[in-house]
Amino acid sequence: MSKYKLHPVSAIINCAKALKNMLIPIVIILVANGFNFTFDWRDERFFQSMVPLIIIIVIALFSLVSGVVQWWTFTYWFEDNELRVQHGLFVKKKRFIPYDRIQSLNYKEGIFHRIFGLVQVSVETAGNKSGKAEAELTAITRDAANIIENEMKKLKEKPQTEEGEVLATARLIHKMSPKDLLILATTSNSVGVVLAGVLAVVSQFSEFIPYDSIYAEIEQLLRFGFLLIIVLVIVGLLVAWLVSVGITFINYYNFEVSEENERLIITRGLLEKKRITIPLNRVQAIKIVENPFRQLFGLAAVIVESAGGGFGGEKDKTVVLFPLISKKHLNTPLQQLFPRFDLDLEEATHSPKRARPYFYRIDFIWLVPLIGALSYFFFPYGMLSLLLIIPILLIGGWQFKTARFKISNEQITIMYRTLSRITFIAEKRRIQIAEQRQTYFQKRKNIASAKIVVMSGAAGASAKAYHMDEQHIDELMRWYEH
Amino acid sequence: MRQEPKYQIPKKGLTVWRLYGVLETLVAIIIAGGVSFATYSFDWPKYIYFIAAAIVLVIALLEIWVFPNVRWRIWRYEVREQEIEIQSGLFIVKRTLIPMVRVQHVDTGQGPILKKYDLANISISSAATTHVIPMLITADADELRAKISELARVAEEDV
Repeated sequence: MSKYKLHPVSAIINCAKALKNMLIPIVIILVANGFNFTFDWRDERFFQSMVPLIIIIVIALFSLVSGVVQWWTFTYWFEDNELRVQHGLFVKKKRFIPYDRIQSLNYKEGIFHRIFGLVQVSVETAGNKSGKAEAELTAITRDAANIIENEMKKLKEKPQTEEGEVLATARLIHKMSPKDLLILATTSNSVGVVLAGVLAVVSQFSEFIPYDSIYAEIEQLLRFGFLLIIVLVIVGLLVAWLVSVGITFINYYNFEVSEENERLIITRGLLEKKRITIPLNRVQAIKIVENPFRQLFGLAAVIVESAGGGFGGEKDKTVVLFPLISKKHLNTPLQQLFPRFDLDLEEATHSPKRARPYFYRIDFIWLVPLIGALSYFFFPYGMLSLLLIIPILLIGGWQFKTARFKISNEQITIMYRTLSRITFIAEKRRIQIAEQRQTYFQKRKNIASAKIVVMSGAAGASAKAYHMDEQHIDELMRWYEH
Repeated sequence: MRQEPKYQIPKKGLTVWRLYGVLETLVAIIIAGGVSFATYSFDWPKYIYFIAAAIVLVIALLEIWVFPNVRWRIWRYEVREQEIEIQSGLFIVKRTLIPMVRVQHVDTGQGPILKKYDLANISISSAATTHVIPMLITADADELRAKISELARVAEEDV
């Protein structure tokens, strides 16, 4: 039995991680100090200005030492069909993970890793709710990673029948071309967020515009101001789009989904290559998400809710299966992966006509005071806020049209909309709880809502069937009961 | 409509909820007192007194009288062979079904006030959620906990 150490580069990576966490305090120290350093030791302010620098140097040294210590004390080995990990300088922490509890090994290659041909391996088990992997091998060579894979395979391989070895080959299910990535970036919600940020930055430059000289000629100001705003908006949009494209490429470059041995394998990333595996039997639910813009072009994203195992370090356990796929071509790959699923929503139960008002009624609770306040304080222009009622009514009507659910044998499909249309598909045996919800007002009209929750991450993932006929909700609850 | 769950929360639970309401009202009175004192010291407008008093009154009425009554009337539970059903809520009446196969563990909890009244809360956790049946007589709560964990053990299944 031999014990293994991590690659020395781990020390550098640990150190970089620690520094990254300390970055904000460091920046605060520097800014608070106003950058007024003096390196002239005869100056009386010399010591005073050196204090923050010394603090920073101490922090850097500390993180370097702790990184080295972490690497030095970390060992892993294989024994009794377990992966065993030990680390810690004064307090020796040991963790034994039986192979059959290990769900998947997820790989990540950062920039440091790629220079030295290393990978980071996260060992995922079912039981971790915190979003952290059960064990993390910061940096090991590919060969070492293969050793772990083989050690696990030795045990997990069930004895083959005499029919002969069936070598499972990976089937490619879906991949993204650069063109797909461009469309993904263009239609993503994040464009708006980035745009707001960019406009905030661009608007800083308006300080340099010599308003005083312009004020002299108001006419010109109007023309110029109008032009300026147009130019600002166009530049802002362009920059936002470019940033969005950049982020998308960094995250999703070379995105591939394949299936091997009843396991999903997803690889992606430009600077940081990631590879995760999810056993198909751990998938709790799938979600098809169409934001309004994508729905217009018949595009959708597909998300997998899985129990345990995601991209290590990411907060939730949702995994993007297809970042972007046209609805027309969606059924084939999904059917390949989940042959049991019925993806047809033709005969779904819709929300009854009398339930329509409930979709926007709730919004008036915050809308009425808001409109009242705006109208009062910014009279008369505040009255324009009355126009808010129109989009609220429209969205509510849209949500009403979308709301439906369908029960087919052991599977339920719920479709609902907040702004994006979400189709939530789950099997009965995966549903943790079902809940019927009814307010006093709904009761008067024999209307109720229902919520189902599946396991995913710490809080679970839920879907709601809003404002359905009470009888239909009853049917849903009965279906779940038996 | 499906049958409502069978069992209600014991009457003592209502008393404890009222007691909680009294405590909340006390906190509100202290805050209102502070505001009134500030109003007096800094010569703020007089109507602040009336607003503070009105808020305290409303809180007292709701927390001591209305909410506990409504809560107590709505809250029901039933433990069956295959599932647990809990009905709860104040504005939204929720009826939650937790199949025994999904129960991960059951806890009983008891703070100082509950201890005095010999009551306990039971919380039932599935892999994704936690649900509480509040204010049960301690003996009942322990029995129920034992029953649930026994039934849940019969139905073992991985997620």
